[in-house]
Amino acid sequence: MNHTIAFPPGLSRFQPLGTILCYDDFDTGANGWLDLKPNYRFEGFEPRKGAVDMTRWGPTMLSSATFAFPGTHGSMTGTYSLKLTTRPVANPYQAIPAPGSLGHALKRLSVHRPAGLLQFEMWYAYTPEQDRIGLGEKDIRAFGFLFDLQDAEYRYMPGVRYLNAVDGELVQRWQYCNADGVTDAEWEYGTEGWCKRGIDPQWFGRRYADGHTDGFKYVPDGAQRLCYNESDDKINWLYLRFQVDLATRSYVELQSGDRVFDLRGLSPTLVPAYANIEGLLNPLLWVETDTDRRVFLYVDSIVVSVA
Amino acid sequence: MRAFQTTVLERKEAVERTLATEPFEAGWAGEAIFFVEAHELAGGSLLARVQISPDGIRWIDEGTARASLDGPGHAVIRVTHFGGWLRLVLDAPPGGGGATQITVHLALKE
Repeated sequence: MNHTIAFPPGLSRFQPLGTILCYDDFDTGANGWLDLKPNYRFEGFEPRKGAVDMTRWGPTMLSSATFAFPGTHGSMTGTYSLKLTTRPVANPYQAIPAPGSLGHALKRLSVHRPAGLLQFEMWYAYTPEQDRIGLGEKDIRAFGFLFDLQDAEYRYMPGVRYLNAVDGELVQRWQYCNADGVTDAEWEYGTEGWCKRGIDPQWFGRRYADGHTDGFKYVPDGAQRLCYNESDDKINWLYLRFQVDLATRSYVELQSGDRVFDLRGLSPTLVPAYANIEGLLNPLLWVETDTDRRVFLYVDSIVVSVA
Repeated sequence: MRAFQTTVLERKEAVERTLATEPFEAGWAGEAIFFVEAHELAGGSLLARVQISPDGIRWIDEGTARASLDGPGHAVIRVTHFGGWLRLVLDAPPGGGGATQITVHLALKE
């Protein structure tokens, strides 16, 4: 069959693989990106109890990026972006994340073709709530992206995180998800729970003073300063591209701005498949605050593609 | 078709004295409904009032959108013409001893 496809101009700032699973411009709505909530399926519609309270993450919303002094920033194209938020609460870096100290957005998909390359791209910006004077860059602990994947044998979460600050000190280095050598009990902060090592690394896995965790290792030569700007109410749209290989269940590369980090030879941690989610393909974003201050991740547009 | 979005702002959350929901951007929407469910309510009426904001930092009572819950159950608060930001403030009854527990949904429509 011969296809004739009108090329949306907004796509020209992306580098998609051959088949575009979704091109989500948040001027057209949330496009299926929603808050991450636990499984409310137990007595009283309660979730499982565990070491981390997963019921109070900050809400995700469509944002005009409006601030007190410049007014409405708008998005890279149009008015609206997807905004991930936290509540104004954080524990010290090495403690279990406080309820509400992260915000998430995810989209629920499933595989539709034999395993090959899978890629996520977005244009995004980040800033804290401008609720105090000064520059709040150091109040953003981290933001990240991962694919939640399951095939016939394994569940795994390849992902990357920009560790921006640890307890008020800028770090600004990229990390990738890998939890090899960690037990499931260590992963869940000493409780023998339901979650397996490497799954949900944004909140599980012990955290260490140098910024690495049981689930996040530093990308080689992964230091990078991003264009944060000079005031918390000025945001610049940034580009991220992240590619994995589902055939080999391994990383390929990360592009941030004009830098490309070669991740070949690195892999996420594979754990036995969970029930009910074979074929799962969920892209997931999150943002985390470092202090008692809301922080925001704005996403103008996203492309998920496969080859 | 008109865009629509429901967000669960609080779930089974205790109201000690006053609780303000997280700032929510709603500039794309023309109408909003806050659904408030009081699971437990001790010590008198729970007051709910909508606030609006120019920037998500400074909050002002909208003035017309408010409701009172006198016992466990639901309240519905409709609001239009609200600019870019919305939140709901809940004032717990005095002497409630923290036994007030609420869930808040915000339904937005273009």
